[in-house]
Amino acid sequence: MPTVEISRKDLEKLVGRKASSMEGLEEWLMWVKGEIDDVDGDTIKVDVKDTNRPDLWSVEGMAREIRGHLKIEGGLPHYTVGEALTEVFVDKKLKDIRPVIGCAIVKNVKFDDESIRQLMQLQEKIHHTFGRKREYVAIGVSNFDKIKPPIFYKAVKPDELKFPPLGFEEEMTPAEILEKHPKGQEYGHLVEMFKRYPIIVDSKKEVISMPPIINSNTIGRIDENTRNVFIDVTGLREEDVFTALNVMVTVLADRGGEIYGVVVHDVNGKKLVLPDLTPKSVEVESEKIRRILGIEISDHEIVELLKDARYDAEVVKDGVIVAKYLPTRNDILHWRDVAEDVAISFGYNDILPAELAVSTHGELSRRELLSDKIRELMLGYELQEVMTFTLTNKEVLFTKMNRKEEDVVEIANPVSSSWTTIRNTILPCLMEFLARNKHVEYPQRIFEVGDVVEIDEKAETATRTKRHLAIAIASSTASFTEIKEIVESFAKQLGLKFEYEEEKDGAFIEGRCARIMLGNKKIGVMGEINPAVLNNWELEMPVAAAEIELEEIMKHL
Amino acid sequence: MELERNEALVLKAMIDGNEYSVNELVEKTKLNIAAVVKALEGLKVRKLVEVREEEKDVLELSEEGEKALEEGVVERKLVKELVEAGGNKPVDDIETQPKDVAIGWAIKKGWVKLEKKDNKRFVVVTARGKEHADKEDELEKALRDIAEGRKVEDKLIKILRSRGLVEAEKKSERYARITKEGEKVAGTIKEIKEEVTLLTPDLIKTGKWKEVEIKRYDVKDPVREIYPAKKQPYRAFLDEVKRKLISMGFKEMEGPLIELEFWNFDALFQPQNHPARTWTDTYKLKHPSHGKLPAKKIVERVKKTHENGWKTGSKGWRYKWSEEIASQLMPRAQGTALSARTLASLPEIPGKYFAIARCYRPDKLDATHLIEFNQVEGIVLGEELNFRHLLGILKTFAKEVARAEKVKFYPDYYPFTEPSVQLSAKHPELGWVELGGAGIFREEVTKPLGIDVPVIAWGLGIDRLAMFKLGIKDIRYLFSYDLEWIRKHKAIITL
Repeated sequence: MPTVEISRKDLEKLVGRKASSMEGLEEWLMWVKGEIDDVDGDTIKVDVKDTNRPDLWSVEGMAREIRGHLKIEGGLPHYTVGEALTEVFVDKKLKDIRPVIGCAIVKNVKFDDESIRQLMQLQEKIHHTFGRKREYVAIGVSNFDKIKPPIFYKAVKPDELKFPPLGFEEEMTPAEILEKHPKGQEYGHLVEMFKRYPIIVDSKKEVISMPPIINSNTIGRIDENTRNVFIDVTGLREEDVFTALNVMVTVLADRGGEIYGVVVHDVNGKKLVLPDLTPKSVEVESEKIRRILGIEISDHEIVELLKDARYDAEVVKDGVIVAKYLPTRNDILHWRDVAEDVAISFGYNDILPAELAVSTHGELSRRELLSDKIRELMLGYELQEVMTFTLTNKEVLFTKMNRKEEDVVEIANPVSSSWTTIRNTILPCLMEFLARNKHVEYPQRIFEVGDVVEIDEKAETATRTKRHLAIAIASSTASFTEIKEIVESFAKQLGLKFEYEEEKDGAFIEGRCARIMLGNKKIGVMGEINPAVLNNWELEMPVAAAEIELEEIMKHL
Repeated sequence: MELERNEALVLKAMIDGNEYSVNELVEKTKLNIAAVVKALEGLKVRKLVEVREEEKDVLELSEEGEKALEEGVVERKLVKELVEAGGNKPVDDIETQPKDVAIGWAIKKGWVKLEKKDNKRFVVVTARGKEHADKEDELEKALRDIAEGRKVEDKLIKILRSRGLVEAEKKSERYARITKEGEKVAGTIKEIKEEVTLLTPDLIKTGKWKEVEIKRYDVKDPVREIYPAKKQPYRAFLDEVKRKLISMGFKEMEGPLIELEFWNFDALFQPQNHPARTWTDTYKLKHPSHGKLPAKKIVERVKKTHENGWKTGSKGWRYKWSEEIASQLMPRAQGTALSARTLASLPEIPGKYFAIARCYRPDKLDATHLIEFNQVEGIVLGEELNFRHLLGILKTFAKEVARAEKVKFYPDYYPFTEPSVQLSAKHPELGWVELGGAGIFREEVTKPLGIDVPVIAWGLGIDRLAMFKLGIKDIRYLFSYDLEWIRKHKAIITL
């Protein structure tokens, strides 16, 4: 979710009205799914929840929407696109590299600190979220007055030319930029596998930008004195690229800029005149909207509410509404998306919550029910319940437990070497718990009923999540007998009969370790912990422990 | 008048009107000195006895005296030595020490005499001496009497003091005598029972408990701190949440910790290039890497829904959907995966389901972030469900879980619901808190899974509430590794 920093004064100026209070401002922001994250004087950080609406990620876009809801200006926002001022020719070689480009020119822009900051921020937010970190969309903003048209979007060899990248005086080849420039290092992976890199140059072969990495330090640089800008948006799909282009030009137009066109001869040789701000439209059945929202509103009221949300809507025939919207939005996939806009215009807090009349029967899952009973039983044996993390590592699971490594899940992108797998047994986690409480009064008697994950290649998820019970008793008198008494009693209380056989398990003392059997199946292990294992955990107290699988037990109950 | 047992014992011992020292009362009552002194204090306050104090010489055995009590006086040791040696011994060979003192006293008592033979002086035991060799001497008895606090004749005391066997020390001694009032009270004391500290099975069985007095305790005395075994505090909190949900008619859902991306994302209409699906936002598995996709019919529908909307009335995301990506495995990142699975497995309509699902997120672990956490999530299915019901359910949650009467709804965004809403509730102690997010599942989610009715999906953010209820500032304490904290935490946790 993008967090956008805005100036309250700037927002109020663009809206054309002052917010009555911080609460009033909060109400305004509800219309753009914005939540105030932080306020520092005039600066307000807004979390904009909708990750599919780049048109709301700028103060200008927010103001446009708020003006509608405040009824300062309703319906479709009006923008005009002037004649095409230049042409862009796209190199066929870009087809498999970065084929799509959209361009526009905005003239007579009056930049100041705040508006430049907003533009940069919007560019960055679009890059990150909507553009999937520039893979799908990358935007360049350049000084149009320095460009000698026409413009060429080309694929060049990594060392074919040289130019100073933004922020550098020194000229570099594209290959050098990937290596040396911070943006090259960050986004180089998007182009480095190709033999040629995308580049935008003018008729004098001056570089404008090297998408999706960096602008040039000459043409591709804007400041407060820049009046006329050239915008290039490159990417993989027309709909993303053109939406981003539309968002950029409308924001500049909201600041008083005049939009002019660019003729793009695209990668397939097709001629496009951009930006294309022709409204999109969606047809909805009003009855469906009424039914999903549960509110009694007429078709006419729906039309009015949609105007507040900056649609131009009309009832085309009985029960059918056609809603037109600015092509700065690409998020309307379904009539439900329109229904939500109707609800937002109506006001979520003006909709009366309704009681759910259906009565259903609530219950726990069988596994959880059994787990709860077992937890109760364990408390009866004076064992304290603990909850440990299921994320762990092989050292905890095997090395420290003196056990042979088993097949467990492995996380591909761990954030720490402490969490590289999910446990297949709970006992190591209980040992870790004991090890962290050496200073606490003994005896320490603990248990956990929790989940473990086992590999099972045949299963749907190639793993099975299983419920286990583990017990550990640390005391000067902890013994095999003590743990066996509990396990045996546990079986009897469940009405089961366990059998015991001698087991070899490195975690336990040989000769004081038993395999717990139920109906010829091994369901667990118990015994006195091997002093070598106690040493590994730096424990100085004897520990008796058991671990039992509950899945098999469930089958017998 | 109410007398304590010891007071009654002491008073009764004095009924003859004589004056008694503390030591005498100790002997008569078989109580210890401290008990007698305490009882006398009590009796004195109530004027049942008069107590006077007297400074007097108290005799104590000297080091020599102690030795004489243990081994006998030196003259007797001497005659013993002589008897063992056959009746006489040269003076030079005498072992009993101090030799001169021993010989002097023995001669005085007529137990030995000195004889000269071959120019050597011999000590010879007399007949009287032989008699006393194995008999306790009167001095020895006097020493014992003094040691045990009994009276001794003045004549003997004089000898013992002159021989340095006893020393006198000035001490104040208490003497007590019963008063007239005391006599009256003593007359009313019937029977003083034996006192026991421990009520034994034997006392109960034999009925002897009726004849004894069970020692009174000071009930204000401090005791050792002990801790009951109890539910882990966070579990106790979650159990309360569960109880609420069940009482509201929700059935529990279950699912695996390792999930297919298909259920975690694709079935929830999150496109395969969605930022939430990248390495930085969700854990991926290296091993095992892929699982098996569900029935072909469902996979086909989900694929088409992503690619062109299928029959859901949607435009879809318009990209080439990959089975390979969908079959990748990951530690479950959102509880909603369970809702998707439930929708695909013929749920009840109308129906309500919930889960407290363990989820994973590659984050830093610190006081405000967990990498492994529980999400409380659920769905409600019903033919006639609409957005107002969604708001109604959220309002009920706010009331039941956060005891909040006031709620506020904010427009929100989730990839799988439309419309979406965020719930804020005014908690009586915490003020306004974000309590959850919800929405009506998109038809792009429900239809491919075979569900044709509206489905409300909700999630409750209860961690902040849990932290408040558990009184913790550090979120890691939800999964506390601090046994002392768990032991001391209060057992009763209410919502």
